[in-house]
Amino acid sequence: MARASYSTWFLGTVACVLAAFALFNFWADDFVLRHHAGASLQTVSGFERVLKPAWFASISPAVVIVGSSRVRNGFDPVLLDPAFDIRSFNYGVSSISAYETRRFVQDAAARPSVKVILVALDAFSSEGAVARTGQGFDEMRLAVTADGAPTRNRRFWLSATRYLSGGALGMHALGLWLLAHLSPSQNAADRPDLFEAYGRMTPAIFAADMRHRRSRVMQLSAHDHAQLRAMLAAICRRPVRLILFFPPDNAAMIARYEANDSNGLHAFKTMVVADAIRHNFTCASKLAVFDFLRPSAITTAPFVAGASDNYSDLVHFRPAVGVRLLRVMLDRAHAGSDAALGHDLASGD
Amino acid sequence: MPFNSYPYLAFLVVVVVGFCLCERRWPAARRGFLVLMSYAFYAWWRADFLVLLIGSTLINYALGAAITERVMRGRALHGLVPLGLAFNLGLIGLFKYAGLFVRTGDDLFGLHYPIPHLFLPLAISFFTFEQISYLIDAGRGRAPRYSFIDYALFVSYFPHLIAGPIVRHNDLIPQFRNSRTPAQTSEDTALGLTLFTIGLAKKTLIADNLAPYADTIFAAAQQGTHLGAGDAWLGTLFFGFQIYFDFSAYTDMALGSSCLLGMRLPLNFNSPYKAASVIEFWRRWHISLSLFLRDYLYFSLGGNRHGTVRRYINLMLTMLLGGLWHGASWTFMLWGGLHGLYLVLNHLFRDMARTLHLAPPPAWRACARASAVLLTFAAVTLAWVVFRAADLGTAGRVLAGLIGLGRSQLVSVSPLAIAALAALFTIVWLAPNSMQITWRFRPALAPEQYSPVADTNWLVWRPDARNAIVYGVLCIVAVLALSSLSPFIYFQF
Repeated sequence: MARASYSTWFLGTVACVLAAFALFNFWADDFVLRHHAGASLQTVSGFERVLKPAWFASISPAVVIVGSSRVRNGFDPVLLDPAFDIRSFNYGVSSISAYETRRFVQDAAARPSVKVILVALDAFSSEGAVARTGQGFDEMRLAVTADGAPTRNRRFWLSATRYLSGGALGMHALGLWLLAHLSPSQNAADRPDLFEAYGRMTPAIFAADMRHRRSRVMQLSAHDHAQLRAMLAAICRRPVRLILFFPPDNAAMIARYEANDSNGLHAFKTMVVADAIRHNFTCASKLAVFDFLRPSAITTAPFVAGASDNYSDLVHFRPAVGVRLLRVMLDRAHAGSDAALGHDLASGD
Repeated sequence: MPFNSYPYLAFLVVVVVGFCLCERRWPAARRGFLVLMSYAFYAWWRADFLVLLIGSTLINYALGAAITERVMRGRALHGLVPLGLAFNLGLIGLFKYAGLFVRTGDDLFGLHYPIPHLFLPLAISFFTFEQISYLIDAGRGRAPRYSFIDYALFVSYFPHLIAGPIVRHNDLIPQFRNSRTPAQTSEDTALGLTLFTIGLAKKTLIADNLAPYADTIFAAAQQGTHLGAGDAWLGTLFFGFQIYFDFSAYTDMALGSSCLLGMRLPLNFNSPYKAASVIEFWRRWHISLSLFLRDYLYFSLGGNRHGTVRRYINLMLTMLLGGLWHGASWTFMLWGGLHGLYLVLNHLFRDMARTLHLAPPPAWRACARASAVLLTFAAVTLAWVVFRAADLGTAGRVLAGLIGLGRSQLVSVSPLAIAALAALFTIVWLAPNSMQITWRFRPALAPEQYSPVADTNWLVWRPDARNAIVYGVLCIVAVLALSSLSPFIYFQF
């Protein structure tokens, strides 16, 4: 065949497949954002690093929760928004690094719609695995650079991400598959078999997880501490409220942190509170710190009918717990019995 | 503008279309067009350093013209070649090595000189070496006098500008005036698209997926973590494969970009992990650099003309400087030194085998070769630890981990990791490379004495509709994975 024909076939294939992918992503993105349970996809593990910045730009939330898979699984906007009459966004990603946390907080703080940012502090306990970013993370999608300057050509990158990236294709395909299994009256909570965040920890999962996480510690390394401080410095003059919290890992896990490195755990908490007090003394933005990483009604609750109501495994709390935590952190006066779960350690009360 | 980015894809389309238009309507303008586009390509990174590139080009051109003139007239050169070398080495020394030498002097002798923190201009190691080769060739009477536009294009030609291949003037400049028939243009386009696609797929689908694991493990070692054996082995092997696919990808994309413009760059990468000795490795890995080091450094030091001992000293010096060329760090020099040692041992063994008539019986040859390939791979991979590590302490912790002296468990040696490693070994050891499958269409200039690209009957590329669709789909898959701007490893050199 003529060589010209090769180029025609090649470019024709590229154009057709590209157009098909872009059209699919365009349609799927719109479908997900409009679906009544679409926001529950924010609790799903997949290519969340790729697509969440684009979803974030579309949703314009007032409350943003940043963190690891604990946050990703534990805060479902479908439950949070009606409970608190807010527009929330779950910015949780698997194995988030300290640097990514800082950058997501910078991204959130740069949006005018955002009033409150919550950050789960386990993100700053990398245990030596200090990879700067995880797979799929891209600075170009965030509103500002690490120095705080607006990101050049960001709209282009977000569009390219949303419609032309393989990550978006995978996440959209997964999202559509999950949403297709929900009837019009169902939410993600009704299908724990599909939405892992709603699964319940059984004694078998508990035992397996205890083995898997036998050497885990919760400590703040110098590298992660530097990122935490850089994050606080970045929002010092931003008109947002920042809430840091130690997530409520199961009491068995807390005991393990204590056993493996008690000093590291307590030093972590002490350093964060000291940083927060210093921040509140010098900065316009105000900072609160909540410690749920301690024995409480959530972390010590026993199994009910052979499963946990609060956890899907030792460290991943369920979205219903996320609602209770948010109630405490956003408005402790109306938190009722949950007020005992924690209080702002940086307020000096 | 990295090759693995949307802006480069758009840039390449504009350049190819513009070049083809010039070729048909204004052939005289095509070199000027390419020079302008190459400068735009460089300026995308930092426009101010374009002054350095153009200034270096002007000065070297003037020196080269003066040297050529004198050589043609049989007049004395009056130190013009050393002057040119001093200028180029001074430039690269100032920008790349001043900080290292001052810091080292400070550490050793407490000199307390202010440590310069100069921004390293992109591609300075490459365009400096290319111009050095031109000046030396001019001094040896092996370079004709070129027009300035030809010379400027030789230096700045964007497919090789950032990370090679290191091109010789006499390989590239004669191609600038080639005129192509429409059939040749179509064949070049087909070949270029295919090579570019293979490179992009290697980068986005393989190298970029290995990087996070290697980065995590080396970063942990840098932070002081004493790596467990699983972490250390996975980190070492993953980095060995990452740099292999990263550099191979870059080379394919450079060659593919150049094919689209009807020009061939030198062969630079030819399945180096299939090498059965370190000598052979350097004939397959970064071929243009090893040829440069051989022709302009090793031979200039005397090569093997002054006895065995001098030969080994010259080999060590060449590889030490070759290591330092990669970056201003003693770890690179140590990496070069390790390869120098490997080469010396390799030559010693080869000489001994020749003297003692040692050779495996025919029935054992395949087995002996497989063992040699495995040993070479192990030696090269161990050396990559020093190359990748930020400092000697980090390298030490990784090497200690390899022999089980640490206890970390950052990544698990999962069935998926084992399967990934098996697939990677299969590709690098058994699959034909991009040069082999396209070699019928001459995608690269073969070095005269090497001509090592072996024939293959497997996965051979032909410009037919089936291949067009397969590579078209591969191109899209690779483009869709372009989610992160991860630079090529060799861009930093």
